[in-house]
Amino acid sequence: MKQKTSIANDSNLLKEVSKDLISALKDKEVVEEIIFDIHVAFEEALRNAMIHGNKNDPDKEVSVEIELSDDAVTICIEDEGEGFDPDKLPDPTFGENLLKESGRGVYLMRHLMDEVEHENDGRKVVMKKLFEKKHL
Amino acid sequence: MQINLEEKNDIAVYRVTGDIDIESSPEVKKFFDKVAKEQRSKVLVNLKEVNYVDSSGLATLVEIFKNLRTYGGKLKLSNLSAKVNGLFEITKLDKLFDISEEEDDALSSF
Repeated sequence: MKQKTSIANDSNLLKEVSKDLISALKDKEVVEEIIFDIHVAFEEALRNAMIHGNKNDPDKEVSVEIELSDDAVTICIEDEGEGFDPDKLPDPTFGENLLKESGRGVYLMRHLMDEVEHENDGRKVVMKKLFEKKHL
Repeated sequence: MQINLEEKNDIAVYRVTGDIDIESSPEVKKFFDKVAKEQRSKVLVNLKEVNYVDSSGLATLVEIFKNLRTYGGKLKLSNLSAKVNGLFEITKLDKLFDISEEEDDALSSF
């Protein structure tokens, strides 16, 4: 299954979009722990696109592409913002950064997904997660 | 999202039910701002009924930790699910917070 949609830059839509993805993963009988990882990473990426990428601009949109197979999900999220350099993000686990109230989103995505690539000067993130089927 | 308080001797035990995420974080923050204003010195947050936390939720918990610390208040967490605990481990927040597996263990460690 491959699905591509453009959604309005409205963080209220975030949960709605992720609910559809989770439901599709459950239908595929993906194990709960893996769904959790995808759930967190997907919402972090979508939120980054809306808030940091598009800077909450209601006239902008976020493109969401999801490719779901029996073995993996590939998620591609692209915003219309100015982009950023993901290599320049501070390590949120380092020293005083641990006490900061932001900066954990991309870090979580990188640790929860099997592959995370930033393209188009940081406007686009492509993430992949391999999963296992439930043993019935 | 719901937060219930039970006083156990001089410890305020807050049991949270629901997600701590971008939607509920402002509400959680507002709730614990009041706790900090009351200058509760021993605070335990039981996360047994929390199935989902995102980076906003983690940030909110860090903020609560810092707010309590300003007046010498102590914050402990307990009953994290394996999935939520995994997020604390990834972000190394398990080193910042005092986390117990069970509420009783947390209570006796104050």
